[in-house]
Amino acid sequence: MSQAEILPVLKASVHDVRYFSALLRGVNFANRATVTVTEKGLLVVVEESRTLLGTAYIFSDVFDEFIYNPETPENKGSQPEQPTDEEELVSAFEIPLNNLLELLNIFGTAGGSVSAKHGRFKAWQKPGDELDDDDSDGGGEGEGDQQEGRANKKKSGQFFGSGSERKTGMRLTYIGPGYPLTVIVAEDATGPTTTCEIATFDAESHLELPFDSEQMVLKIILKSSWLRDALSELDPSCDKLTFIGNPASEPDAGLHPVKQRRIRMQDAPNFRIEATGTFGNTEMDYPNDRDVLESFECETPVKFSYRFSHIARTIRALQTSVKTSLRIDNEGLLSLQFLMPTPVSRMHQGKGTSNFIEFRCLALEEDA
Amino acid sequence: MRFRAGIENVTTLFRIIQSVEKLQKKCIIKFTEDNMHVICNSDANEGGIQVWSQIKIDSIFNSYRIQSNSNNEITVNLSCDALMGALKSASTSAGTSNSTSGSTYETDEVIVKLAKKNDQAVLNFEITGTTRAGRKVKIEHDVKIEVMKPADVAKLNEPMCPEPDIHVLLPSLQKIRTIVERLRSMSDILAVRASHNGCLQLSINTESVKVDTEWKNCTIPQMMREGASQDSADDDPPDPEHLFSVLVSVRSFLKFLSSHVVSTTTIACVCQNHCLILYVYIGDVADAGGVLTFYIPAIIDDE
Repeated sequence: MSQAEILPVLKASVHDVRYFSALLRGVNFANRATVTVTEKGLLVVVEESRTLLGTAYIFSDVFDEFIYNPETPENKGSQPEQPTDEEELVSAFEIPLNNLLELLNIFGTAGGSVSAKHGRFKAWQKPGDELDDDDSDGGGEGEGDQQEGRANKKKSGQFFGSGSERKTGMRLTYIGPGYPLTVIVAEDATGPTTTCEIATFDAESHLELPFDSEQMVLKIILKSSWLRDALSELDPSCDKLTFIGNPASEPDAGLHPVKQRRIRMQDAPNFRIEATGTFGNTEMDYPNDRDVLESFECETPVKFSYRFSHIARTIRALQTSVKTSLRIDNEGLLSLQFLMPTPVSRMHQGKGTSNFIEFRCLALEEDA
Repeated sequence: MRFRAGIENVTTLFRIIQSVEKLQKKCIIKFTEDNMHVICNSDANEGGIQVWSQIKIDSIFNSYRIQSNSNNEITVNLSCDALMGALKSASTSAGTSNSTSGSTYETDEVIVKLAKKNDQAVLNFEITGTTRAGRKVKIEHDVKIEVMKPADVAKLNEPMCPEPDIHVLLPSLQKIRTIVERLRSMSDILAVRASHNGCLQLSINTESVKVDTEWKNCTIPQMMREGASQDSADDDPPDPEHLFSVLVSVRSFLKFLSSHVVSTTTIACVCQNHCLILYVYIGDVADAGGVLTFYIPAIIDDE
């Protein structure tokens, strides 16, 4: 028992925090974040106004070292009905996310901080965009495995091509409930070392927004840049954003291709984003073209509205991501999944799991 | 009362004023026969930070002439902003002034003199330059000043400080600034600690976060103690591990860090529970053209 107590619940380290902090930055819209630790990695959950839920899935191979020792239930004897073994062991705590991000960037080398210039984002996107062109036939989440090898080779060259740039390394320790999260940050052997203790809080239950894929009414997979450009075009004063999907019409196969296209243009658009604000409306249509919408599934016409300020929270994650999956279920629950570029870590040379950030957002109640 | 000089090193003077300008809108400049003193000692300063500096005349001016009834000293009170404006147009390399204003001339000579215009005492800056086309240009700036009475000057006193507990050579101010800027969003109070084995720490400690940034192997200059004879010989050598610490306001510390534009070497002195003194050397320490001294009062923690 005493042996187990000495073992910290979580120990992780990485030689370059840029990837890690980019993932965290994607969900940095409210200060309090719940971190759930599992064997596989970290789950960072942030929520806003009981409507928007942001989750960053950070798999253990983002880190050079990742050791998780599940907490030993202290009162095993008194409570015989302890969670059985089949249940996954998890530890959770809450931290001020903003502070953690500031600390990771304490030497100004964690990239793209809130105050830093925009140049860093470009460095990120460049390898990502290239990756995208490579695998035009690649699917969304999950099936990216074969592309990984290729992507990584490219990336390690380009991503860290500017080798002269200094990097911030990090070591993170969490002893257990009641202890702070200790983070040691250093730039290089000669420079200073920063030791931080971030207070942790007991994790409180979060808003649960289960997405029922059985009841899914719209599913779109597209390159993140297509969505990013659309959203960045919108005026920040907008207050409502509507996603409209219409089933793809089956053009008569016998018709001339030119005619087919004309019919397609006249039809209701397959996917439309409509923004409503005090100064007017903006409508943006996406054609059902494989180059734009990699996959499009829609059975019946769909129309759901969301608060623009909530959707705007996703922009930071969208900016760093490669591919986006947009799904809506029959109750209007929106699920946006952003696939992030593959990490390069020392632990898994050339083979990493794709990390992603997911947002779930409830639809606005429409008065009929 | 006469004062006239050519400014040789406009950039340095500009940077000195720039680092002082963050502290207060007006500053006092005292010209003596050998030195120029830039002083910020207003009580209105946030956190009570003060600057007393001493800059050798030779390192900035040439053909320097000064005459007055009070020991050939002239003390003026002027607005930093106005002075910066004048120096900006005199300097071809201070900032990007020339490229933004579109004027492309090389400064040949800058003359500053004491003058009186419409019963108003001014420092008159006369800048002559040559445009690219080879034409002569002449620019004049009048910076309104208030000449201080010798009696008032006599009342100016540098803060009294005890013998510092430790001196430490600071790492690059630019680097420290990046770090302190991040800390500012988390805390108002910063602890500065140093030990005789060359360890320097900047720390904050709040309810939600505790951060220590540590440098090892900093140079600890051994200061000649004034009146060393009084020190008993059997004085125990200081514990190399012991950290001398002082709490200061993060904002005040950041104001001092804005002097990174002018600094080459900076020495910090910790007077425990009293203040933090920072000597910012202009040019090499050995051949220092001058030194800016920042006094940041300590915050006394009741705990």
